[in-house]
Formats: sequence, structure tokens, C-alpha cells
Amino acid sequence: MPFGYHGCYLRIDVSRGSVERVALADTVLRQFIGGSGLGVRLLLDEGCAHLDALDPRAPLIFAFSPLVGSSLTTSAKFAVVSKSPLTDRINDSLASSGFAVAGKSCGCDAIVIFGRAPEPSVLIVDDGQVRVESAADCAGMTCQATDTQLRSRLGNNFRIATIGPAGENGVRYATISHDGRHAGRGGSGAVMGAKNIKAIAVRGTQRTEWAHPREMTAISKDLSQRSFGPATAKYRELGTATNMLTFNRFGALPTRNFQSGAFDEAENLSAEQLGATRAKTRESCVTCTIGCEHLYATDNGAVRVEYESLFALGSLCGVGDADVVLRASQRCDELGLDTISTGGTIAFAMECVERGWLDAPWLTFGSGEALLRAIDEIGSREGLGRLLADGSRAAATAIGHNSIAIAPQVKGLEMPGYEPRALQTMALGLAVGARGADHNRSGAYEVDFSDKVDRRHATLDSVRHAIDTEDRAALMDSLIICKFLRGVFDDFHGEMAAMLRSVTGWDVTPDELRDTAARIVAAKREFNLRAGWTPDEDTLPERFFDSPLPNDALAHLSRERLDALVAEYRRQRGW
Amino acid sequence: MLPSCEVALMHVEFLGVSRDRAGIAEIDVEADTLGRLLETLAARMPGLAELIVVDRLHPSLAANLNGDRFISDPETPIGDDDRVLILSADAGG
Repeated sequence: MPFGYHGCYLRIDVSRGSVERVALADTVLRQFIGGSGLGVRLLLDEGCAHLDALDPRAPLIFAFSPLVGSSLTTSAKFAVVSKSPLTDRINDSLASSGFAVAGKSCGCDAIVIFGRAPEPSVLIVDDGQVRVESAADCAGMTCQATDTQLRSRLGNNFRIATIGPAGENGVRYATISHDGRHAGRGGSGAVMGAKNIKAIAVRGTQRTEWAHPREMTAISKDLSQRSFGPATAKYRELGTATNMLTFNRFGALPTRNFQSGAFDEAENLSAEQLGATRAKTRESCVTCTIGCEHLYATDNGAVRVEYESLFALGSLCGVGDADVVLRASQRCDELGLDTISTGGTIAFAMECVERGWLDAPWLTFGSGEALLRAIDEIGSREGLGRLLADGSRAAATAIGHNSIAIAPQVKGLEMPGYEPRALQTMALGLAVGARGADHNRSGAYEVDFSDKVDRRHATLDSVRHAIDTEDRAALMDSLIICKFLRGVFDDFHGEMAAMLRSVTGWDVTPDELRDTAARIVAAKREFNLRAGWTPDEDTLPERFFDSPLPNDALAHLSRERLDALVAEYRRQRGW
Repeated sequence: MLPSCEVALMHVEFLGVSRDRAGIAEIDVEADTLGRLLETLAARMPGLAELIVVDRLHPSLAANLNGDRFISDPETPIGDDDRVLILSADAGG
């Protein structure tokens, strides 16, 4: 068994409360590392791609990584991997918290859960021993209330990941939450809810050994030092909310369900304005030295907010009242809802109302009251929530009128805050993403914000850049290390290899890691192929091909251009 | 076309960290190249100076001309009435 690993995973059947400890081959660990990579490999091994995502037999995987538990900054992360109930394709979502450290301390590199408990339950993994207890007293509780309730029962030394009412109600974009952070995208909370598991509590005492502890400590110190510098200043000083004004200035801020790339109330939602008008505090994830979390004071307590939430619940829905948007973000956190899919689905419904395709006259762009009402109805699957809880793609099917053309999704996953006509390398990244439209698996927007390409006229030369960002993301999501560190590396693959060598003792090289990243991306595609993926899924909604952005005539993306980019992407991938 | 003795007056917009460090959202500056512009900004704005290495931006920042193309070569000419945007290079998140 290599250093940094326990060399096994726990395979837990929550129907019976039984556990099997399954050995992990060294070759598998080296080929897939951990996190997203290991989770996808285990998912493939389970042979479950054909199952419905909410079938009790469909596994839900929590995958840790060799770096978890080390002193390397931002390494306390875990990946949740399953088939997505929103897309019917692969889903891997990551979160940072002490849950990763406590989970790995149970003596395993991953936890694979299947089955269905007979009643709402908490799965307890206590130093590798497993039991399932009733959590009926937590049914209907928010994520935070569930955590509090179970801590009082189990003790404070457990780390507890929970779902909120949205996960219990099968909302297909429900999250899994720990410590206020969420494995957010793709509906892993609904998968957990389908297993009648309201929470997972972990604690343990089992530590892994490091191959070269002194080298690892030196790398840790150096990395931490660099994480205090200019490369992370944006995250540390302003947080991702500072994107709001930048994207608006470039006409790339999705507004009113992607009808525009500029929002005249963007200033209200900017980090600069939020910081000037209310008290702000900062927090860090466990082991993180960046401290990107900016919490803003509201009447309902401090609210942690990111650009993606501000865009999805703000400009995308035409809501410029910061108090409302912060409350909406907080409400999503309480209910356990992915803010991007929530905002995207509501914005889509708002446009359908505007066009007369949906009879819900109260749901209008710009109405904060409507936004908050819609969020509650989605979380409870009541009223209009019955339609919207399955996401914009499913809602479009029910609404008709070819509304799928304006549903802001790829493969069923609602789009993040990057206007693809204004950021065309990112348009490719969004189209080909294995889990759907996503900014965490493709960092191609970085290329658009550089002198490498013309952001409003992608060419075939853009493709290699998009592939490079996708591969880097796959590597960081498998090691796992936070993407907000990406700017500090002078030699990305070389430094990643040094980190992994110090932890595992493997003689891993930068070239090996390049191959590993491509392997992990290919494994996600393999799952999708087994789940029924077809080539026509790698595209964008029709809306983006119809016309240029109203605020920028140069921002025009033709279907032919995107098709050519996708074809070149596949050619370079060798697919 | 400007007479050779005159230098273009360009408009600079700061976004994100650069705005925070500059302490202002925008300013008019006389310069005829990106490098000269950055030298001038470093001299005038101590808060921004640590993010300017001689006549280049620190890699954490990027410069854009008129919202159209990104520029990094210090010799890039900048004309009268041009708008230079200075923003974080890692624009996403």
C-alpha cells in the first residue's frame, strides 16, 4: 500500500447497515489518484451506469485523496461522485471541510453507499465501524439544523454531512452540505435522499503515513507562503463576488435568462458595494491559507456568498436588490439547493411567463418576492416547485413551445455565470463538459480573459487551451487541491508531481500526471457512454446561435463554429 | 493623429483587486504605450505598485484594450481616447 492511502474503501449497504472493506489496488490509486478520479473509477467498477440515479442500487461515493490530512494548504477536500439525477450523466461535486479529514480518518480512501434505509436515517461511520440510526427527528430540517441536532446527539467530534428538505424531497439539484459548504452541483443531495440518508456522520483516529514528511513540510510551507501573495489576492481581499463588475464590464454577465450580457443593477451586487454597505467577515476552509469566504451581515445573520450565487439569483433573475439576493442564497443553503441550478431554473420559468408559455403571473423578472417564493416552492416541491424541482430541461419538456431553446442548460445542468457568446473558448468548455455546463471542470474562461485568443471569435487554436484547462481541473479535483491556488504555480505539473511524490513516495513525473488527467477525463466520458450519451449532447441551447448579444454585436456564436470546435476537441482527444 | 510632441490621453478603468489597490475606479493618464502607462500608474499609486513589475503587470493581473483584446507587451501602442481595463487575470471562480 502506498503512503498517503489506507488502500481500501468501505462499501456500505444502508438497507441492512452492513459494511464490506474492499481493497484498492496500487495501480488503481496511481492511475486515478483520489477525489474525482478515484470516485469515477469506483463508479465504473460498480457497473451501474444503466441504473436510474435515484435507484437504491445506484452508488453514492465519497472519495478522499492522498493529500487529505496533510499540511498542504487547501487539501481538506472530498469529492461526491454518482450518476446525476439532473443530467443522467456523471456527476462529481467537491466540497472543502473537516468532513474530508474525519472521513479519511475512518481508515478508508472512499465510502461507497448503496441501498435504502427503512426510515430517514443517519449513517454513522465511527473509526471504520458502521451503523445506521434513525434520524426521523431531523426530517424536514434545514442542513444547519440537522447538523446541530445530530451533534447534540452524537457529540461534537463527529463531522456531519447533511441534506436539507430539498434532498429529502428529491429536488434534482439538491446539495450535500457540511459546515455551510456544499457539494453543490448535479443533485447528489437527491441521490442521498433517495437512500433515506439524511446525514452521514464520520470520525476516526486512523492516520496515513507520508513517504517524505520533511519534503512535504517544505512544500507545504512554500505553498502556504505563496498563497498569501498577489496570485490569490482576489479571493482573499474581495472574494469571487468581485467578478460581478468585471463580467458586466465585458458584457459577459448572464442577465435575465441569458437575454443580455449586461445588468444595470450589477453594482448593487458587487463585492465592492456589498463590502461598503454592510459588515463583512472572512473565513477559511480547514487547512486553507487563502481565506476566500466573505460573509456579509444581514438581518438574518452572516451570509456566505459567491459570484455564482450572486449571478444566478441576481442578474439572471433580474433581481438587483442585494438584501433579497443574499437572503435567496442563504435560503438555498438552508434547503440544500444548488444556487446555480435554482437561479437558472427560476430565470427560465420567468422568461416562459414573460412569453406567455407558463401561467404563473407572479413570477416576473426583477421580483425579489417571486424569487424567494419560487425557492421555497422548489425546496418543498409544492406549487410551481413541482415543475421546477426537476430542473430547466425537464420543465421545458413539460412546458412545450420549444422552450428547450431557451432553457439555460447543457446535458440538463444549468449554466454557470459565463455568457458563451462573449467567452467562446468557454462556450466549448461548457458544451463538452462531462457533467454538463460547468465552470469547475473547465476553466476555459481563463483563456478568454487572456491574449491567447479572441474571446468573441474562437478558432480551432482555442481548442488546445480548453483541453488544457479541463485536464488541469481533473488533476486538481483528484489530488485534491483548491483551484484558487492555480495562479501560484510556476510549473503546474512539476509542482503537482512533487507534492504527490512527497506524500506517496511514487516516482511520478509531470508527464505521468498529464496522462493521468487525460485518463480521468476519459473515464468520465466512458461512464457517460455507458449511460447512453450521444454526440448531439455536446452543444449549447439554440438561443445562443440565434443572434449576437444585444449589448455587443461582435459577440456572435454560430452553430457551425461551435460544431467545428467540438469536432476539433474530439479529434485532439482521440475520441 | 497627434503631433509627435504630444502624448495620448487615455482612460484607465480598474476592476477588482486593481481598483482596491488603486483606491479609485478610473483615471485619465498620459502615455503612448502599455509599458509607459504602467510605469506612470506605479509611480502615482503606491498601492498598485507591487502589482507592476517595471513596465509589466504581475501575472495575477491582466490588461485589456477597449474591452476588445487583451494586451501584455509593454510596447503595445495606445492611442488617444483608448480605454485600458486592468483586472484580475483569473477572472472566474
